[in-house]
Amino acid sequence: MKNRYLLVAIAAGCCLVLAAPLIAHHSFAAQYDRSKQATLTGPVTKVDWINPHARFFLDVKDAATGKVVHWEVELGAPAMLMRRGWNSKSLPIGNSVTVSGSLAKDGSNLINASTVTLSDGKRVFAGSSGDDPAQQ
Amino acid sequence: MKTLLNAVVLMGTVAVLSGSVLAQWTVPPTPNVPKTATGEPDLNGPVPRTADGKPDLSGIWVRGGGAGGGRGQGQRGANAAPAAPGQGQRGANVAPAASGQGQRGANAAPAAPGQGQRGANAAPAAPGQGQRGANAAPADGISVATFGNVGSGFPGGVPLQPWATELINKRKADNSKDNPDAHCLPMGFMQFHNHPEPNKIIQTPNTIVILYEANEGVRQIHLDGRQLPGPDAEPWWYGYSVGKWEGDTLVVETRGFRDGGWLDVQGTPLTDAAKVTEKFRRINYGNLEIEITIDDPKAYTKPWTVKVTQRIMLNADLIEFICEERDATHYVGAEGPK
Repeated sequence: MKNRYLLVAIAAGCCLVLAAPLIAHHSFAAQYDRSKQATLTGPVTKVDWINPHARFFLDVKDAATGKVVHWEVELGAPAMLMRRGWNSKSLPIGNSVTVSGSLAKDGSNLINASTVTLSDGKRVFAGSSGDDPAQQ
Repeated sequence: MKTLLNAVVLMGTVAVLSGSVLAQWTVPPTPNVPKTATGEPDLNGPVPRTADGKPDLSGIWVRGGGAGGGRGQGQRGANAAPAAPGQGQRGANVAPAASGQGQRGANAAPAAPGQGQRGANAAPAAPGQGQRGANAAPADGISVATFGNVGSGFPGGVPLQPWATELINKRKADNSKDNPDAHCLPMGFMQFHNHPEPNKIIQTPNTIVILYEANEGVRQIHLDGRQLPGPDAEPWWYGYSVGKWEGDTLVVETRGFRDGGWLDVQGTPLTDAAKVTEKFRRINYGNLEIEITIDDPKAYTKPWTVKVTQRIMLNADLIEFICEERDATHYVGAEGPK
């Protein structure tokens, strides 16, 4: 059942083989749990193109309850994202995207993106801030 | 009136066009790049020299690289399959085509940038000497420092004093939440050398300036013969640096650091007693090695030496990096600077 607002999956232990390492100025483990992988789909509501980590927000409709939940998605540094083809306009407000990544350890509605896929199927690399083993 | 109208239209047009141009700022090709027989950039080519015959270190550099042409010593080992778009920082000695400064249109899927130079530097030497798998002993016996842990190449770690061991353990236990960089404060001295974002060396006869993209860092290395300041010098985040050429090696001495420094993300310390020596060697056109000796008796039982390798980025320039997230609210339990 395709539902663009559907919370698709929370697959613990799912090992995503992903993109080039970006960097975290802190330990990724401080905030995210790599064993808690999730995929979220929903419309973009806001983009913060700021250092050291860009981020955006999306509304995700819970499949079970129908309730719309606001999620925050952390990315890498804007300069690194630009070198991967992103810019601050890559995610137009209102466009639906699908995000995969690691959930926050504290259970908040926060995810560190590993991949972002646009509604037309184009996959845009996210540049996770925690994808560098040097940080582990 | 018509003139005024025309002026307004013209201004509007210029404004629109300017926005477009700014959004697609194309960096011109790096000049004077040596070429192979097939016309590819020859990163193993000769070291450029200044008018006075010194090696010219100028250029855009990023971690990775080293002897053997740089392949395989980057953040990932040699022959890392370019899995997803976004390989620009890994293994590529050339800025991703149509990337770099945002020339690529929004939402365009980056088509494996970084492929352009693969093959141009065959002979990948010693995979795993870079940011990943950095524990392999390099040929010269000097371990490669990594961004996360400068001492990762030492079997028992760097030779810490007991109090420094406690400190680093606490910093690790705290998930590095007090790393100054995490609060938009200046990045640690050696973090710059290993950061995945590039730096730009500008060399003049009397001064070398290094601009670090990450956190907009700046260092000046004075070559004009001035002496290092005495022990009463006001401590600086990056200390006071003077350099001199010993053959083709630039030897840089730095003193006068602030206390409480972080050499890496895990928090390997640097104190105000530190004497740091850096030896910069451009080993060929595309590769730079920096050997760093930390002589800090306050934190360490003996001096220790590591090295960092960097590779040239062609057709690229730095991108603005103004750190805004000063409160570091994305830390669990972290509090920003007051």
